[in-house]
Amino acid sequence: MTTQYTREDTKALFAELRRTGDPQTREELARLHLPLVEYLAKRFKDRGEPLDDLVQVGSVGLLKAIDRFDLDRGVEFSTYATPTIVGELKRYFRDKGWAVRVPRRLQELSLRLNKVVAGLTQDLGRSPTISEIAAAAQVSEEDVLEALESGQAYSTTSLDAPSGTEDEDAPARLERLGGHDHALENLEYFASLAPMVAKLPEREQTILYLRFFKGMTQSKIAEQVGISQMHVSRLLTRILDFLRSGMNGDAEY
Amino acid sequence: MGAVTVRVPAVAAYLGLLRTAVGGFAARDRLTLDQIEDLRMAVEEAALALLRHSRDDHIALQVRSTDRGVEARLDTGAPDGAVVIDETSFSHAILRALADELRVEDEGGRTAVVLAKHRMADGGARRGRP
Repeated sequence: MTTQYTREDTKALFAELRRTGDPQTREELARLHLPLVEYLAKRFKDRGEPLDDLVQVGSVGLLKAIDRFDLDRGVEFSTYATPTIVGELKRYFRDKGWAVRVPRRLQELSLRLNKVVAGLTQDLGRSPTISEIAAAAQVSEEDVLEALESGQAYSTTSLDAPSGTEDEDAPARLERLGGHDHALENLEYFASLAPMVAKLPEREQTILYLRFFKGMTQSKIAEQVGISQMHVSRLLTRILDFLRSGMNGDAEY
Repeated sequence: MGAVTVRVPAVAAYLGLLRTAVGGFAARDRLTLDQIEDLRMAVEEAALALLRHSRDDHIALQVRSTDRGVEARLDTGAPDGAVVIDETSFSHAILRALADELRVEDEGGRTAVVLAKHRMADGGARRGRP
């Protein structure tokens, strides 16, 4: 990855930094490892926050790692820095993720249910019912309903793991899908809407098209786009809100 | 199972309550998560359409179980002949995609949008129409 060609430079720079404490050396190290931050930040980019912001947040983690790194440990800096950067990104989402204050118990249950729903959808080959979710998660149906409601308080910034896996590669999935070009053509019928749809990110255009013009279910869309069904639901609600607001005047997505 | 009726002020800020009510009802009727989400979204869309023509101070929602699934009926006072949901509109396209049944009833100064979501025989999700 990014560190291979800089491994020796990195070591030399760290030795220098420890010796001199020169802020320029620290900056140079940060610059060299920015691609690592960008790489890690991209893994979170499907959660509704601008990539630039995520890179900023990740950079804080990088600087912390630079300040704490000990050359004598004998591990590569990138190995050492990765959990610190990821930790910083996760903390950011944890702090910012909930639009309305939701009790921690419900936050945790809601996040857990995302995984349960993804698993059940896979096993059953269809979307699960509330009682099936309750049985699988070993909680009451009332708890499931409460958590789903609170999930709506969860803003577009979402911690939910795409399709229950940690290794997402959403851009590749979207490209494979190859269908998003048609979204605009099909929406031409609703001429007043087309400029609004064009303002949506490609992924949102795809979701809109698949749900309302291909009649695909939320679970299927989740599978195709590589995000959770609950996230699809939240995005659809947000997309419709945006399109409606556009009918009454100008709006930004 | 029975029915639930909710009346909310004819103000956009209250329409979220209709979503919540229909979602809670549908969940107890063994609809799948996909179907519940569809119905919630459809109710909101229909309520917004009614809101634009309403001359009442409230919108009423009745949700009930039927042999086939869950039916949501939203109604409000509206001028006779008001076209609440134009069949060429995006709103109509959304509602058709989300609901298994859709009809608009216009009678005696009241307009109602009736939406239904069908249960699958095995409790499974109904596949969307192409």
